Amino acid sequence: MEFAQIVDQVELEAISRRPMDLSGLPGVWINSNPHTNGIARMVMSEADGKLFLQVYAIGPEGLIDWGVAQVQVFGSTPTSVTGAGFSCRFDFGFADSFLQGMIMKGLLVLAEVRTFKDQSNRADYFVREYFALEHQRY
Amino acid sequence: MNVTQNLEFKQIRDLDQALIDSEVRNMGADRLLGRWMNTDRQTRGLREITIEQTGAELSVTAAGAGANTPIEWLAQSVRPLANLEEEAGQRSIALAADFDFGFMRAETYLRVNKGVLVIVLFNSFRDQSGRSDYVTREFFYRAE
Repeated sequence: MEFAQIVDQVELEAISRRPMDLSGLPGVWINSNPHTNGIARMVMSEADGKLFLQVYAIGPEGLIDWGVAQVQVFGSTPTSVTGAGFSCRFDFGFADSFLQGMIMKGLLVLAEVRTFKDQSNRADYFVREYFALEHQRY
Repeated sequence: MNVTQNLEFKQIRDLDQALIDSEVRNMGADRLLGRWMNTDRQTRGLREITIEQTGAELSVTAAGAGANTPIEWLAQSVRPLANLEEEAGQRSIALAADFDFGFMRAETYLRVNKGVLVIVLFNSFRDQSGRSDYVTREFFYRAE
């Protein structure tokens, strides 16, 4: 078994052949910052064992729907079968948005890498924001 | 924040004046440069990270904890990014760095927060080992 750090050298018996448990990720995730000028809300949904993310971001006249992207799911260790993070990419033509999220203590910490492909001379940027799962219990 | 006319956007942040501000565009990566040691001496992940700059080029190398000797990590691509932290109003540089070992790929981002270098790694296995792709985060202090 090849590895680039010893944490990735795991016993074969420790590797589960079960599919990743995705149950902690689906739902509506709301930005904790009510004054954000970026992503306001994300809807994660599951279909056929795959996860999909729809993003709504703050625009000048309301929310902008980015559409849906399939996400890659990550565990928390090489032997984990519980979804603890994800990544996905949106291609808008003039720019790419690469999203990387990880669950920490119930919060979704989202890192966004924005890469501009147009000639606007804008700097590519990075931003981290926090999202809470809308539970509608209270 | 000023909204710049005639630019495409998908969120208001895309129109942040800071993105075309020469001060932001020319921000150096000084706070990131140097040799960084993992705060966890017993780590089984990355023991240290070195970030260097030659001209406009940035490089990220790391030493993974090995069975006997450290394993060299060399980022195939390193991209500086304007770090627009919302609440702190910070203006700094973060890095996106990708490592490709063939059997595994690590997509990472690095930033300095209060003097601590934080790396978040999204590791994907491409072999048939059955290992799960996973995300992890490690912390480093400046060694020199």
